[in-house]
Amino acid sequence: MNKKGEAKEAGYGLVLQELQENPYRKFNLAFSLMVILPFLVFLYILVSKLFTLNILIGNIGIVLLIALFISICGFLIGVRILKNILKKLIALAAQAKHSDQLKSTFVATVSHELKNPLTSIKTNIYNISAGFTGEVNLEQKNILGLCQDTIDRMSRLVNDLLDLHKIEAGMTDVNRKPCNVIELSEKQIRELGVVAGARNIQIVKEFSDTKLTVWADEDKLARVINNLLSNAIKFTPEAGIVTLKVYPADNFARIECIDTGTGIEADNLEKIFSKFERLNSVKEGTGLGLAISKDIAEMHRGKILVESEIGKGSKFILLLPRDLRGRGR
Amino acid sequence: MTNERNAKKILIVEDGKELLLSLSILLKSQGYLTIGAPDALFGISLAHKERPDLIILDLGLPAGGGFYVLESINDSIETNDIPVMILTGQQGIELEEKARKMGVAAYLHKPFEPKELLSRVKEILDR
Repeated sequence: MNKKGEAKEAGYGLVLQELQENPYRKFNLAFSLMVILPFLVFLYILVSKLFTLNILIGNIGIVLLIALFISICGFLIGVRILKNILKKLIALAAQAKHSDQLKSTFVATVSHELKNPLTSIKTNIYNISAGFTGEVNLEQKNILGLCQDTIDRMSRLVNDLLDLHKIEAGMTDVNRKPCNVIELSEKQIRELGVVAGARNIQIVKEFSDTKLTVWADEDKLARVINNLLSNAIKFTPEAGIVTLKVYPADNFARIECIDTGTGIEADNLEKIFSKFERLNSVKEGTGLGLAISKDIAEMHRGKILVESEIGKGSKFILLLPRDLRGRGR
Repeated sequence: MTNERNAKKILIVEDGKELLLSLSILLKSQGYLTIGAPDALFGISLAHKERPDLIILDLGLPAGGGFYVLESINDSIETNDIPVMILTGQQGIELEEKARKMGVAAYLHKPFEPKELLSRVKEILDR
């Protein structure tokens, strides 16, 4: 086959492919079958009936035919409008599906393309500092320690960004089960005890005597409590006190995290839940923790409130409905 | 030589060549023998040929993916007794549950702590 022939064939191939992939082809066929065909059948019956009854004769017949013509025109215009609306709806649905696919691809790509190099760098830093590749002096070890800290911070940032993206895109799984809030809070205090102890900060717990259960995703709830508690420790000066209160309040479980830090100015109270908002850039953090915590609280039909006084400290209040069974996403 | 003969053999199936090399250095430092495969098919082939004591498996792999490797290893009488440790950057409880149901010995998220990986490897190989 000559080049022209090949091109022609390729051209037909493309047209055929386009026709086969065009979602509107199926739509047009279905639409014709559902709307236009019944109308044509109805029209045929009506006209044949009018002929049998000899109505289409004389002036009345002309008037009837004009009325019929106008109604057919009206019907066709209506059909066209309806068809365009439905086409737009199909296009919007396809766009939404495509957007969801893009979101999933983004998460998978970021997971792979960022986490792999981070893991590789982290492992290599460990390999060198542990002396697996030769002797390392103290100064070199200190420098490697700094690299390690940076990699850990980057890893946290990548994980936080992915989590936030998944929550906002509605792609996160919520595995609800009965959670004992007091037990969960105890666990977070134990986990952060070493960090607090290193700065001589005392964690005081004031827990309700009664068992307090909420229907929640345990890991996500633990993350919120951990975030509030670690922020409180971070912003409390050495030898300060952080208090964690857990008690029932009406239909809610109320978790209060109170620090004795410098406090937050009233103008900044709303900003702290925004992404990448870090009021104190000296303190380590990704600036996403509170944004994620707020999203998680809302995912459980709860909320996080904040009260603060400059020079005295801040109080973060997590409110969670005690019975969430059968509600929402 | 005797040490090398007695050393446990670990197959690392990982498409990131830098990570493959880093893991290899890490595991060799503890006296293990390592072999690497950059994709799913090569991983399955090496699992049959080398019969390692442990397979460290990434989930996002070219030529089939990690679950394909896991299925193939589980389905073959020659390899179904080899413990598998998953290393993945992919998040999702359902992935972990699926892997656990398929009998994996450990499941670690990237970026993991090298010390943790070594202790899990030792724990599995000492069983």
